[in-house]
Amino acid sequence: MNSFVAGYIPLFDLYCLHVGLALSQYIVLRVGVFSLATAAFAGIGAYTAGILAVDLGMHPVIGVIAGTATGMAAAIFLSIPLARLRGVYQAIATVAFIQICLSLNIYSENLTGGAMGLNNIPKTVGTLTLFIFAALATYLIWSLEKGRIGRAFNTIRQDEAVAASLGISIRKHQMLAFAISGALAGLFGGLEAYHSYAIDPKQFGFHLLITILSYVIFGGRNSVIGPLVGAAFLIILPELARPLAENRMVIYGIMLILVINYMPKGVADTAIDALKARKLKARGAASS
Amino acid sequence: MLAQQLLNGLVVSGVYALFSLGFTLVFGIQRILNLAHGAVFMTGAMVAYYTVDGGGPLWLGFILAIVVSGLLSVLVEIICFRRLRKTGDEEFGGVVSSIGAGLVITTIAQQVSNTQILRFPFETFPVVIFRFWDLRVSMLQLFMAGAAIVMVLILGYLFYKTAFGRRVRAVTDNEHAAMLMGINPNRIYSQTYFLAGALAGAAGVLVGLAFNSISFVMGDPYLMFGFAIIILGGLGSIPGALLASVVFGMVQTLTIAYLPSGLTDTIIFAALFLILLIRPHGLLGQEDAGNLGGRR
Repeated sequence: MNSFVAGYIPLFDLYCLHVGLALSQYIVLRVGVFSLATAAFAGIGAYTAGILAVDLGMHPVIGVIAGTATGMAAAIFLSIPLARLRGVYQAIATVAFIQICLSLNIYSENLTGGAMGLNNIPKTVGTLTLFIFAALATYLIWSLEKGRIGRAFNTIRQDEAVAASLGISIRKHQMLAFAISGALAGLFGGLEAYHSYAIDPKQFGFHLLITILSYVIFGGRNSVIGPLVGAAFLIILPELARPLAENRMVIYGIMLILVINYMPKGVADTAIDALKARKLKARGAASS
Repeated sequence: MLAQQLLNGLVVSGVYALFSLGFTLVFGIQRILNLAHGAVFMTGAMVAYYTVDGGGPLWLGFILAIVVSGLLSVLVEIICFRRLRKTGDEEFGGVVSSIGAGLVITTIAQQVSNTQILRFPFETFPVVIFRFWDLRVSMLQLFMAGAAIVMVLILGYLFYKTAFGRRVRAVTDNEHAAMLMGINPNRIYSQTYFLAGALAGAAGVLVGLAFNSISFVMGDPYLMFGFAIIILGGLGSIPGALLASVVFGMVQTLTIAYLPSGLTDTIIFAALFLILLIRPHGLLGQEDAGNLGGRR
């Protein structure tokens, strides 16, 4: 039994890390910004933390805090130009941003180790830390959702004109969402650096972007449960279907197409809506 | 030296033009950013390789590549976008859905090619080099430039001089009105996607021949460059995409020749970012990026 559990710990670690990143992606989609920059923020956070630990021998706590701060700073910086764009153009601009980070990272070899990546990072983060942070992040986003800010986010996503007429500042809220997104991505990027001994630039490229986006699309974009369920499902699925594990990306791809076409709200949100509808129906039947 | 670089740049531009014309065509007509376009491009190169590998002549490979990538592109449209268009969520959904299609195609290609870099056998395309004045031009470069020009001319003819072109432009303008005029938009979409895929497939074969290396990831950088080109040219604008391809091919060749090579991508994507902010409608585009959502 014990070895059974031990065998799945790496998977659980991965889940915790990716939940953090998925929440970071979720929160920007939530305010109606089609930004895909989470992978870049995670890279910035990871490299900040990694460089601080390897080159300057800093304490991991400082590294993680610095990673979070730089991720957040990058996000706030990026949110200013992005506010001028809409829809697909935001997606293109953020993909360009990821590419800029990637190529700068490979170019500045002295600082980041170039294409070889950053090695020999002391491993200081364990499963428990990851779990605590993932839980904290989930709680943070969940409590945001419940309050005034969550409702403002909803309004902005559904109709910006209505939001503006209600006195909700679109720019401020989108910047806030970006700041949270960048901070979360930076935080989990930093944790990843301290968890995996080595990081390399490609790790934070297009591939990570797709993986994270899949979680959110698959799970659902309208409630916190969405990214949690999406990440769980898409991480466990290839494990369940071992022979298919090599084709993980085919599964992701087919899932993306099917879910966006037939269940555009995502699996979790569709289920929640169905439950709500059933409850309403039962109540209606009882009262009539 | 400079003249030689400019000449090389012009040949590269031709390939970019083939790739991004299809990309921009699809965006222009459907407002869908087809991220599977890079995978279609890669498929073209693969088909040509396996035809030659199986003993077929190169011209057959070229034709097969064009047909197969065209059909694949139509398939992507039917599977990924047709349903989304009805629900009206094509802008966000289209990106997601085409990322999915791209993943599926590249992973299958990865399995087929065993994650290896494939090379055409030596002298698949005869190595002949012409010299005039001080310039060196290989037969392959001439062929690339010629193929690109011919295809662009055919596309221009189809698009601006035929009934088909008028139908496409009508659907682009207003799908509903076009439908009232008796045009079946779905059919137009399939035809445009076939054209776009065929162009991408041709570009794939040319790139595969030119660098003699074909791999399942070869589409990714071109997809990224395609972004830059169609933004620079103005989304959906065909002359814009042509002009931007030339600018882009030149800039890329010159930066590789004269600047530290690691920075090429940084410069290109920083430029893309700036263009998006300063002139979102690109060089020749008319539509403003800010208005696209229609909700602002």
